[in-house]
Amino acid sequence: MDYQSMLAWALPMGVGLAAVGSGLGLGRAVGSAMEAIGRQPEAAGKIQTAMIIGAALIEALTIYALVVFFILSGKIG
Amino acid sequence: MKKIVNILASTFLVTLLPSILFASEGGGTHLPDVIGTFFHHGLMNTFKPAIFAFSLSILFSFIAMKVYKNRQMIPGPLQNLLEMLIEWMYNFIESILGKDTKQFIPFLGTLFFYILGMNLMGLIPGGAAPTTSLSITASLAVLVFLYSQYTGIARLGIGGYIDHLMGEPRDVIGWCLVPLMLPMHIIGEFAKPFSLALRLFGNITGEDILVGAFVGLGISALAFIGSPVGLPLNVPFILLGMLLSTIQALVFTLLSTIYILMMLPHEEAH
Repeated sequence: MDYQSMLAWALPMGVGLAAVGSGLGLGRAVGSAMEAIGRQPEAAGKIQTAMIIGAALIEALTIYALVVFFILSGKIG
Repeated sequence: MKKIVNILASTFLVTLLPSILFASEGGGTHLPDVIGTFFHHGLMNTFKPAIFAFSLSILFSFIAMKVYKNRQMIPGPLQNLLEMLIEWMYNFIESILGKDTKQFIPFLGTLFFYILGMNLMGLIPGGAAPTTSLSITASLAVLVFLYSQYTGIARLGIGGYIDHLMGEPRDVIGWCLVPLMLPMHIIGEFAKPFSLALRLFGNITGEDILVGAFVGLGISALAFIGSPVGLPLNVPFILLGMLLSTIQALVFTLLSTIYILMMLPHEEAH
């Protein structure tokens, strides 16, 4: 197996795996935030801000995989 | 509020600098846009992010200065719009920074509207989002990094700044943890601009490639009858792109605000 076919396999798989992890994390984070808002609607603004920060930090992990994809995808062709 | 408009205009001039310095290497990603094909060769392609970022700064500065010069007690439509946007931004930042908002709103508000404008440029046919160039996002992140470090040194003093980096040791256990906390904080400070730049770059590039891929799909769907135009399959993804652009601009601004907040002397925070 030459390195091009390895990359063509590994890069999309890497992004997909990272997306699975981020998806689980985001599901937990946003779900808890929604519950908190439901329990205490007057604190919705603060919870939303904190949730957006957390969501940004979580999905950054997928974005790193995506950036690696962008950088290395030029070597496939 | 009118003073804020003035400061905003001057800050836009500052935003011209990174776009010149860092985007000359440019290029961005080559999106399969149909109308802008002839832009994809030569000088125009190389300086594309710089040109778009530059023209956006000029447009924003021009609008801000025009409104500031002709400001009135009873605002016209343009002044009304700008005041509404800035007031919204002010209230949003104030919910995080509190009484320090007045000092930081020029920088943070500029950051939000500048990044939002740059993100939305990718949705114009033939256009390109300057934020799909890593040079632009990196220069913005470096600006945030320098500004937050400067804020820390100016507000805490040199001693307080180092104390902050050491994790504010006050007892024996605190001092024992200093060799662990100091490198961790320093690495953390340098990791922040990296994550800011890569997050914005990755999100906007991914979004633009998604829209571009569906433009290509729509064209190839009708290619068998030799149609010059394709199906508008990309329309829902343009709406998604608008949503993502706003969220990413908001996230960049929000995280910058948090980084500055962490550098401020905190009585009630933490």
